[in-house]
Amino acid sequence: MAHIPDGFLSAPVIAGTALASAGALAIAARRSRDSLGGQEAPLLGATTAFVFAAQMLNFPLGAGVSAHLLGSVLVATLVGPWAGMLVIFAVVLVQALLFQDGGVAALGANTLNLAVIGVGGGYAIYRWVLALVGVGPRRVISAAAVAAYVSALLVGLAAAVELALSHTLPFETAVLAIVGSHALVGFFEAALTGALLGLVYRTQPGLVANQVAPSGAERGWAYALAGVSLLVAVFAAYAASSRPDAFEAAIQRLGIEDTALTHLAGPFADYAAPIGGPWVAAALGVALVFALGWSLARFMAHVGRRT
Amino acid sequence: MSFRHLDQFAQVSSPITALAPALRVLGTVVVALGAATLRLGAWPQLATLAGLVLVLAAVARIPLRTLLLRMLGPLVFVLFASVALLFLVPGEVVARVWWIDLTDNGLLRFGSALGRAFTALAAAVILVSTTTFPEIVQALRELRLPHAVTTALGLAYRFLYVIVDELERLQRAARSRNAGAGAAKRRRLLVSVVAAVLRRALVRSERTHRAMLARGFHGEIISLHRSRVDARSIMLLALLGLVVGAVTLSSYLAR
Amino acid sequence: MPLLEVADLTYRYPDGTHALSGVSFAVERGEKVALLGPTGAGKSTLLLHLNGLLLPASGCVTIDGIAVSGGTVREVRQRVGLVFQDPDDQLFLPSLLEDVAFGPLNEGCDPEGAELLARGVLQSLGLGGNEMRAAHHLSGGEKRLAALATVLVSHPLVLVLDEPTSNLDARGKRRLVRLLRERGETLLVATHDLAVARALCERAVIMADGALVHDGQLEHIVTDQEFLDHHGLWAEL
Repeated sequence: MAHIPDGFLSAPVIAGTALASAGALAIAARRSRDSLGGQEAPLLGATTAFVFAAQMLNFPLGAGVSAHLLGSVLVATLVGPWAGMLVIFAVVLVQALLFQDGGVAALGANTLNLAVIGVGGGYAIYRWVLALVGVGPRRVISAAAVAAYVSALLVGLAAAVELALSHTLPFETAVLAIVGSHALVGFFEAALTGALLGLVYRTQPGLVANQVAPSGAERGWAYALAGVSLLVAVFAAYAASSRPDAFEAAIQRLGIEDTALTHLAGPFADYAAPIGGPWVAAALGVALVFALGWSLARFMAHVGRRT
Repeated sequence: MSFRHLDQFAQVSSPITALAPALRVLGTVVVALGAATLRLGAWPQLATLAGLVLVLAAVARIPLRTLLLRMLGPLVFVLFASVALLFLVPGEVVARVWWIDLTDNGLLRFGSALGRAFTALAAAVILVSTTTFPEIVQALRELRLPHAVTTALGLAYRFLYVIVDELERLQRAARSRNAGAGAAKRRRLLVSVVAAVLRRALVRSERTHRAMLARGFHGEIISLHRSRVDARSIMLLALLGLVVGAVTLSSYLAR
Repeated sequence: MPLLEVADLTYRYPDGTHALSGVSFAVERGEKVALLGPTGAGKSTLLLHLNGLLLPASGCVTIDGIAVSGGTVREVRQRVGLVFQDPDDQLFLPSLLEDVAFGPLNEGCDPEGAELLARGVLQSLGLGGNEMRAAHHLSGGEKRLAALATVLVSHPLVLVLDEPTSNLDARGKRRLVRLLRERGETLLVATHDLAVARALCERAVIMADGALVHDGQLEHIVTDQEFLDHHGLWAEL
């Protein structure tokens, strides 16, 4: 249940998210008409119904824990990002009005999180990964799995930011609790997205939209973006390590100096590495994240092939 | 699957069902917004809005017990979230339960969140108890939501029943073929069943598109319904808006 | 001039396999023709050409003198009422009334008029009282009638039915057959059920592997066991 109920968000956040999502949906409505034409009506209807049905299912994870599918990235790969936003919006809307899953006043926020950020952000990651690795059935599925994971994280982050801006929760608590749980749920979302997409792809590859191979320019941008992220991470680590006062001041202002977060970060507190100091440590960190994501994606594709 | 009961909810006629669906939806939004944006700690205003909603439930001829029962599921989730606030929000400690500190801020947020959520929830339950799904889709159409969304929802109604039927049938078949399988195997079966249902849903949408084209469809579903919005309904909605707006605003003005 | 004419129709699937090769036949006004043949013979593919849902690779389909093409599909679809195999594909709106009114509304009818037409057709098929119900609350037989209603409401010149009696019990079959016999439209029925074909049609067109292999009187073939076996047909005895 990534849906925020009523009563947890402040008026400005309610208004801001409502405006933002309304704007995004208006664009999505126009763009999806351009890309799908008249075909869209039954396809969107069936996809909406499917997401609805799938979200009602309990997937047992073991030890009494079960999870539900979010479906943002799955939908984006099947009907495209713009139509995908409309589909997830339709689902969130009906869940709020008919099932009270997510608040009515909080609809703007939930739409923004799940439909706009979840679908749009997830799709962007999907295209980014594809631009890095190229197209082909296994790569498409891996890209979708990675995108699904990041999408879950982004949804959690957005919700945490909204709750923090509403002064409902302190920012670091919100991040720990919500982004933390989404970081775990994300694995399930990635696995399920990859598995479902894989099974659909095997029998009917034509159903998976957006198989356009990334252009040279797209690939260029993708590598550039990856490079920039690496540089930013390295620079941040350098700044943190060489200017401890500024960093500590920042931590104090955010109010996280005494919380679990810093305790968790303890082992890496000084960003030291056996060789080369903070630069290498940061680079290793980013490389580690990429490696994890990559192996996760390959595992998902492997699973998708076996089932 | 817990959605089929929705077909049976909106059977009782009342002054609420006499209103146009579009205005019922707007009314729900007005009440939910009013409740959600009440100032923290404005207990008198919160009680007023909650009371207003209970009065509306009575006007809609929904027994209190039924109302509370239908709110139970979502309310449990809200309760958990509110209790989380109780413990996670920093502030002055006012009490100690076992090993956990209760802060003044935490209590304030707990009560406010719970109260506001309860009121907004009740409004939504009144809506679903008086309005059928097709009426809600019609309401959204009249409220000028994007065509793609309202058309998708209109079609999703039937698709949902067909998809869930297939899902249950395939699940039963898989379960009977694999009785006694371990949890991991059952999970993998569930995934393959869901994938099969997804595939079928996508293929079915193509066949439905053909059937629509065969009957002259050219992009937009034309509605059979005429708008039931009349002057009386608009005035009632305006009245509701004024009352709720006044209560919510007063929570910020009165100190 | 025949009402429906198929001339040397050839169609290939996107992956290149032949679905139809050089199919030719004609149906006169008022005729009732059965389209027989085993699964995979191309019956459904042929039917999809009759209202322009598929366009041929070569050859021509003519309805009421109009050649079926991308530009004429609108007029063709007003004259051809195609009822698909699965009623759930045709009953996609929240109520039967809306489903049946869908066709007239698309053709420009105003909501009041469309509703009146829809109510009338539902009544005449014995489904009066079910207007506000959704299709999943109907029995299989009622669903088939409802699907038929969605097409009959537009007064097509020719009714094309794809397996109208599959999954129906004997009572449902009898009800549907009786109803169709009473109607005056030109009829083309694709079916596996020879008994239904006999009850409705005098003439049979038989397909196999995408080609038309026989066109003649139904009575002559139902007693010829060898013929039936050869063409993969089963006669209920």
